Amino acid sequence: MTRPFEQRRECTIVAPMLTAREGELSAEEVSLLDQHLQGCNECRAISLALAETDGLVGEALLAEAARRDFAPFVDEVMARVGAGPQEKASLWARALAWARAHRAAALMGTLAPTLAGLALIVYFSDSETPPPPLAGEVEVVAEGRAPMVLQTSEGPVVLLGGTDGT
Amino acid sequence: MGWRALNFRDPASVPLMEADDIALVTRAKAGDAEAFRALVVRHQRKVYAVALGIVKDPDLAWDVAQEAFVRVHQHLPEFKGESAFGTWVMRIGHHLAIDVIRKERSASREAIDDVREQDIEEAAEGVLSTASGVSPQQGALRRELLEKIQGALAQIPAAHREILVLREVEGLSYEELAERLRIPKGTVMSRLFHARKKMQALLAEYAS
Amino acid sequence: MVDATFGRRAVLAALAALAFTLGAPPASAASGIPVRVRVIKGSRQGPPAVDPSLSDLQGQLSRLAYQRWEQAAEQRAEAEMNKPLRVAIPGGESLELTLVDARKETVTFQIRVGARAHSKLTISKDQRIVHQVTDEKDGAAYFATVRPWP
Repeated sequence: MTRPFEQRRECTIVAPMLTAREGELSAEEVSLLDQHLQGCNECRAISLALAETDGLVGEALLAEAARRDFAPFVDEVMARVGAGPQEKASLWARALAWARAHRAAALMGTLAPTLAGLALIVYFSDSETPPPPLAGEVEVVAEGRAPMVLQTSEGPVVLLGGTDGT
Repeated sequence: MGWRALNFRDPASVPLMEADDIALVTRAKAGDAEAFRALVVRHQRKVYAVALGIVKDPDLAWDVAQEAFVRVHQHLPEFKGESAFGTWVMRIGHHLAIDVIRKERSASREAIDDVREQDIEEAAEGVLSTASGVSPQQGALRRELLEKIQGALAQIPAAHREILVLREVEGLSYEELAERLRIPKGTVMSRLFHARKKMQALLAEYAS
Repeated sequence: MVDATFGRRAVLAALAALAFTLGAPPASAASGIPVRVRVIKGSRQGPPAVDPSLSDLQGQLSRLAYQRWEQAAEQRAEAEMNKPLRVAIPGGESLELTLVDARKETVTFQIRVGARAHSKLTISKDQRIVHQVTDEKDGAAYFATVRPWP
């Protein structure tokens, strides 16, 4: 379908404006764009189509970046810089030290019936690698209180409990 | 006892969670490795996202992103704070990514930027006959769609990928794009139009 | 009197396991995980209402006696391994949040609320923690919610 020459020519001027964000077009440009879109089905259709996919590229790339495991990134950067990787104390050793430091207080976890308590064989191993913690593992230490943990499928809810022991 | 209103828009009562970049940069310049590490962690994913969009390959993008921070570390003494630290890192990452793919650049530049009448007709035709079926309002993007977007991105020319990535990941305005790419604002607009149009057409193809 | 054995036994007492796998060794100890922390207020009084921005917490909040929930503050940050993040809570105190473990499918946070409580919680990546941070006063209490990869 052939459109009037003037309109087609105007399309080529207006089309790049379709990618503009707020504040990026002058008042004249906005006016020209609005007027043109009112009378041009093709450009209106293009405008809608572009709106549909606006931001998807950014979202996709940022989602991919969020998904990727960045755990080693900064250490690798520091190694390249020559600063060397950080000294890492064993997570296991730190966990034990923490538990030891809070041994005097009440320790309680109320677990939902669906979670069974099992001793992990790996727990007693002499391996350097600490056992992987499991979703649902909970420790709450609250001096002079009876804390409570409710386990839900969305995650734990920790209540401090009353200071009068209730 | 009363409590402070937790209005985190008011800098005076901002919760203590984040030191801003300025404070970290000051400490990093003074040789504080921890501060530098914190800056890396804060900006790593976004730099990676820009690199990924441009170089396409995830491992290469990882490498480029790391190299960007290495350069930042090297040039930290010269950083005066005229631009935001984040912008500076992104700019370095962007340029490194472009260096990597420079040889891929399309030889025919006119098609990249000129908007011709047939471009409009093609675009309109494509749009009127197929609905792309994707809507940013749908909330979190499905894995499948994410992969399709990355696949489509890999198919468009480097210069289009570059401008799309800077626009959508780094969020640059027309003015900022013009400055970063050293092209006139009009060229920014038309190049972006071509890039967006191509992506839309590719995604529409996937949907149909 | 108390030695490593006690510590180990105490931790064992809280262990929950459906099944376990000898997973891959932990990722490098230094890592940044984006987290979203919200401070929310639960009240027993007032018209029952839940701030729409808290609708994703319905499942967890509905287990509690508070019928009215409002959001007081929100912050996002990158949590780095073993680097405490502090969040101000009403009353002038702060909550200290530390990432202490991060695996493919789980993360472990340590939460310290002044002298009141000290918790270590492991959640799967799509879960969130809801943790009381102030005592109930006049029928209301504050909680903090922690969500990795918001």
